[in-house]
Amino acid sequence: MSNGQDFEEKERERKIRRKVFYTILGTLAVVFGGFLVWKLRILILPIIVGGLLAFLFRPVKDRFRVRWLPHELQVLCSFALIGLVLFFAFNTLRKHIPDEQQKLEFKVRLQYKLNARYRQLVAKSPEGKSNAVTPLIEKEIGPLMDKVNQALELNPEESNLFLKYAAGYNGKPPIQSKFVDYFRANQNTREYVIPEKTPPNSPSLATPAAAAPAQSSASVEGTNLESKISAWILTPLIFLFLGFDNGQIRRFFISLVPNRYFELSLTVLDELDDAIGRYLRGTLLECFLVGLTLTLGLVLLGIPLGIAVAIGVVSGLLNAIPFLGTVIALVIGVGYALIAENVTPLIPGLNPNDLALYVLILVVIVHVLDDVVFQPFVLGSAANVHPLVVVIAIISGSLIMGLWGMLFAIPTVVVVKTAVATFFKELKDYRII
Amino acid sequence: MSARKFAADKLLWEKLGRWKRSSPELDRIQFLKTVPFFDRLSNRQLKTVSDIMFERSYDTDESIFEEGQPGAALFLILNGKVAVEIYRETSTTRLAVLESGAFFGEMALLDDTPRSANARALEPTRALALYRNDLNGLRHRHPRTACQIYRSLASMIGDRLRSTNELVQMKIAGDTAGLG
Repeated sequence: MSNGQDFEEKERERKIRRKVFYTILGTLAVVFGGFLVWKLRILILPIIVGGLLAFLFRPVKDRFRVRWLPHELQVLCSFALIGLVLFFAFNTLRKHIPDEQQKLEFKVRLQYKLNARYRQLVAKSPEGKSNAVTPLIEKEIGPLMDKVNQALELNPEESNLFLKYAAGYNGKPPIQSKFVDYFRANQNTREYVIPEKTPPNSPSLATPAAAAPAQSSASVEGTNLESKISAWILTPLIFLFLGFDNGQIRRFFISLVPNRYFELSLTVLDELDDAIGRYLRGTLLECFLVGLTLTLGLVLLGIPLGIAVAIGVVSGLLNAIPFLGTVIALVIGVGYALIAENVTPLIPGLNPNDLALYVLILVVIVHVLDDVVFQPFVLGSAANVHPLVVVIAIISGSLIMGLWGMLFAIPTVVVVKTAVATFFKELKDYRII
Repeated sequence: MSARKFAADKLLWEKLGRWKRSSPELDRIQFLKTVPFFDRLSNRQLKTVSDIMFERSYDTDESIFEEGQPGAALFLILNGKVAVEIYRETSTTRLAVLESGAFFGEMALLDDTPRSANARALEPTRALALYRNDLNGLRHRHPRTACQIYRSLASMIGDRLRSTNELVQMKIAGDTAGLG
């Protein structure tokens, strides 16, 4: 056998060995990686959020360049700047988050106003005649109103607290007497539908037996909460360390790629980075525009600036969840409109008693504006996902991770879609497939 | 170069020399200084460029890129030999054999038009790759450095255009003489 053939034979054996080695290593990595992901699943969300934040704020970090300052200090300065802006934003928002007294007051006002509206709706005419629709409304909405009353009714502890606040408690000014009247009126509210009597041997009475497990489940919940909180400490750390990264992570992963795919992987990574960055930053801008439009609209309707900003911020953030974001904005907006009093709309000719209707119209207008102007303008074709896929993704997200799952469902779908499309396009361009 | 910049460069160079006397980073910067493509850059600028370059190792006969693939990076040979060839159905035309310090695939720094030839390592080769979008990124972070690289690239393409024009003129002159 000649030297050349011998060399070729050895090379062939080496290739087989390499394949076997990589297959075993790959399988072990997948199994071990899967095991780790399962065991450390509590860390996934904080890591994703930290990574996303670092990704979102990377342009800020890149823009903040001072030649004579070391990279680490530049990053720290840019993060300090972002932190300061966020701190002031949250601080302003926090002022409008209702405290204990305001929460009780809101509950009382909402219950009173809802009941007043309902009674108005089913009221008989002065001649004592009711129209044909009234019995239907009573039959259909009556049970719903009972449930709403049950949900909004203050429990004995809350009632005591409300009465304390009504007289002036904890250094706070006393609650307006009008709202105390609402509270008394709420207490006198009777059920609209007479419930059927439950049998005396009802299983719901067996509460003492259930008390012990409830206690133990509470302690388990406490431990879970602690571990969840400690997991969230990772988020700022991930955010900070990814911010310090000056391309080292990318270089490391590229160094693992075989030479044949070197240029391909650079191009794919770059296009993915660009597409996902455009989508996420576009979504953020879209949420901001929605929040701003809603805030402006609410101010024009006469809602106080602070409350309008708070509703705008919450609705803008939740707008990242398609469909549901609008519904939540509607619930919050109309909820406030129902309890709002002494409102004077800045637009002449509007009747303050129909504020809830105006808020409903405003939310619809904002939703249409979002669909017709903001989304095409800000996102372009980056978010072209079929509505059916959107619905399935949101439901799946909520089943897997609750509210966070809903929030991340569409970005995940867009990321996967972009990754697959880019990968296949580049594989074809590089004549690999 | 301003006195301030000169002093900063000197400081950086001394620091590198003192702390990393035989580090791959210093070797790489020293190597880049010898490449005509980067001869207008200061040491500090060379360090910036070196930071965004990827080092790759190729075995004998291993392909670096193929004709028709979209170009994404410029390659600079650290050591080894690279053949630039065009494969046709029946023949292979070798356009050049490049050695340490030479670069190829520079058109990829401008756009992703397909590669016009194949590049293949003739012996174990180490090369530095400069990715187009990383150079684009330099435009924002270090505009002067990026500008000087683009200037080198433009002047090199200008040189090539001039030699191509001369070749064409020579060919036209030859054809005219043949006809006459």
